[in-house]
Amino acid sequence: MTKQPTVFMRGIRKHFGDFAALKGVDFELRPGEIHGLLGENGAGKTTLMNVLYGLHEPDAGTIELHGEPVRLRTPQDAIAHGIGMVHQHFMLVPTLTVAENMVLGEKGGAFVGKERLQQAASRLRERGERYGLAVDPNARVWQLSVGQQQRVEILRALYRDARVLILDEPTASLTAPETEQLLPRLRALADEGASIVFITHHLEEVLAWTDRITVLRHGELVETLRPAETSAVALARSMVGRPVTLKELGVDVSVAPSTEHRGTGNAPMLEVNGLGCRSDRGTAALDDIGVSVRGGEIVAVAGVEGNGQAELEEVLCGLRQPAAGTVRLGGDDVTHVTTLERLRLGMGVIPSDRYRRGLIRALPIGENLVLDQIGERPYGTPLRVSRRAIAARARELIERFTIRATGPGQLAGELSGGNAQRVVLARTLSRDIRVLVAAQPTRGLDVGAMEFVWARLDEARRAGVAILLLSTDLDEVMALADRCCVLYRGRLVAEWPRHELDRETIGLAMGGVVGTPSPATVPEQVVTRA
Amino acid sequence: MTVAQSSVVLPPFQRRYAQLWTVLVSGGGVVLAFLVGGLLVVIAGGDPLAAFRSMFSGTLGSTFSIGELLVTATPLLIIGLGLALAFRGRVYNIGAEGQLFVGALAGGSLILELHASGTVLIAFAVVAGIVAGALWASVVGYLRARWSVNEVISSLLMNYIGIFGFDYVIRKPLGDPAAGNALASRQLPTSAMLPSVSGLYAHVGIFIALGLVPFVWYAMRATPFGYRIRMMGLNREAAQVAGVNTARLTVVLMALSGGLAGLAGVIQVIGVEGRMDSGISANYGFTAIVVALLGRLSAPGVLAAALLIAFLNVGGQAMSVDNGLPYSIVLAIEGVFVLFVLIADRFGRTR
Repeated sequence: MTKQPTVFMRGIRKHFGDFAALKGVDFELRPGEIHGLLGENGAGKTTLMNVLYGLHEPDAGTIELHGEPVRLRTPQDAIAHGIGMVHQHFMLVPTLTVAENMVLGEKGGAFVGKERLQQAASRLRERGERYGLAVDPNARVWQLSVGQQQRVEILRALYRDARVLILDEPTASLTAPETEQLLPRLRALADEGASIVFITHHLEEVLAWTDRITVLRHGELVETLRPAETSAVALARSMVGRPVTLKELGVDVSVAPSTEHRGTGNAPMLEVNGLGCRSDRGTAALDDIGVSVRGGEIVAVAGVEGNGQAELEEVLCGLRQPAAGTVRLGGDDVTHVTTLERLRLGMGVIPSDRYRRGLIRALPIGENLVLDQIGERPYGTPLRVSRRAIAARARELIERFTIRATGPGQLAGELSGGNAQRVVLARTLSRDIRVLVAAQPTRGLDVGAMEFVWARLDEARRAGVAILLLSTDLDEVMALADRCCVLYRGRLVAEWPRHELDRETIGLAMGGVVGTPSPATVPEQVVTRA
Repeated sequence: MTVAQSSVVLPPFQRRYAQLWTVLVSGGGVVLAFLVGGLLVVIAGGDPLAAFRSMFSGTLGSTFSIGELLVTATPLLIIGLGLALAFRGRVYNIGAEGQLFVGALAGGSLILELHASGTVLIAFAVVAGIVAGALWASVVGYLRARWSVNEVISSLLMNYIGIFGFDYVIRKPLGDPAAGNALASRQLPTSAMLPSVSGLYAHVGIFIALGLVPFVWYAMRATPFGYRIRMMGLNREAAQVAGVNTARLTVVLMALSGGLAGLAGVIQVIGVEGRMDSGISANYGFTAIVVALLGRLSAPGVLAAALLIAFLNVGGQAMSVDNGLPYSIVLAIEGVFVLFVLIADRFGRTR
């Protein structure tokens, strides 16, 4: 170590209630380096960085910046010390322009004059050009793609002269080309002397683009090393704490060539016909969607965010009224019935946003595990909820689904992403369901949790459940789908059976490029093309 | 409160002596409230000790004053319980004042027009008041559930329709010719009045109110209905995905809180005033919002808050009358007390 580290965190501890999120972690960030931060969900990566960004005050431990001890009590402190953070979920105001978002946190806030905004815009242009991150300062944020919004987030940090840049899973929501654009830009930034912390699950990205890697596990530091000293398998092992195979990593899940079409003999359990609906903005979000799923098969609807997956999920759950078409559940028309009725008819849902729709964070895990059965036997009568029965059931499910929690009484909001998803899975799959709508079931999950979710979905399929998988993740589609269609701009543009699944073709279709399909690729289900 | 910079974590005082801390903070809050309140009295040119003495003697000093306290607490408690239920589900009913008047009007007119008397009539009037308040409020609930019309605004504005509709009916169709231009209906037959509690200058309505407390407490804590309300309040979308019919529950909560406000209205007519006039409510429908929030939306909390607010109201009046203090100073002191209770509540929590 010749140069003084930019950031030196020593012995950082942080508890949330009884849960120890960080158990005395050391972390060092040097000038001009990209530092990969790896770990399973719940390992403490985000918590550690939130401490550095002043969002959490540590229970114990010290932080030094350029050798000077500092106390970062709020993000404003951190920003004043040149630390910027780009969260996994963007913190932008969608209805404002890019430039307006820049000045939002400044003195005067929303009341700054035109002149100030123009200054911001020109400064933004200058930064954008210097770092190759150009964005139109006058564009409204909601009109930008996810990749562009992320640029805006990074630009905001640079706009405030951040020299330490924390990126929490920056590539998680990006398409492959967007990722390929982003990473060299980060390298250029680091070459200029900025220090970058890069939180991710993608081992390949970490190995290719970082200077050093720190691995956390269960709130403890496992190791800090250089990419040259390690490998994907070794990193995965130190993250999970046990040997894993490459296939488990999702690094390269090859499709077993199979001509057998699972579920062929079964009756269709979920039938969607001519379905159309409008988005929140009133534009057509879905147009003439037709898909059917038989018992015992997984049909994937792949697509890039913003192409109608969210609306399809909402229509199927009963959260959004369709404008046209029908949805049938095992023969019953459920197009206009309530969510409760759908659940009674044997539908299960894994919502894409587990914290917003899957869980009630302020309620204990126990209640969350039977959320859709409160008031039903054995969890109570219409006049009394049986806490004892709920707790007993919760303990059973916590063990069966290996949920890492202190017990049924722990609040669901304290769980890490992977464990939160296990709660949703446990609730949904432990019921007697015939149809499962699984929306982005592994989004933001680490390798271990991902593997767990896939195994449970596969189990449900074997048990004869008809599964509709909505996913933006190609690995997931390749690993699970018996059939795959692609949703592009609200329409289903292509469909393939399992033995014809091809990463590249699906990836192209997700981007709107559909080749001329050979007659063999048109399966029994009628697909309307755009 | 956390300690950065040091490597040893000392459990702070608050956490180690949680209960003692809570007591200290609430006690400190009360003392401070009296100090600041006393200061206000001094500024108004009064003697703070005498003022606070008459505050206590005016509420707890005699059977009469205790009765006064209970009569004031009754509508606050009944409405506050309903609002606590609705607020738990994040259904913000701000229209209890109007619902109170609509309920009073329905119950009162029934008694005036039916020309019957006795217990049956009282029972009918009570039911009519509840139903009228519930229906009145469920209009707001339906608008919210069906077209996402903000219930805060619609319920607030419907207050005016309810209150002035009430004024119109008691002046014109049901008006008392003898009262001249005064806003009052004809007098109700005494047989249609609620009986008093023997030995106290209070009507039996307080028992209805107190009887509702365990009922609401149990419903909120232990029934699936209460769980659904909590689920909806904590996360509306997740509740919906878990099968809660949030549209229906919204209407139900509006109807429930409106029905209770209507009940309070009828009780004011047949328990206190004996006729329908604008004196049946001293802003109880609005004050009950403070009661519900101060009671942290729990039934026992609402009971305590209703008694506290009634104490401040009745005691404040006594203070003003006995000491020749302007009534505005009473309102200011009430505000100071509520403020300090809220602050103490915030700092008394140890989590």
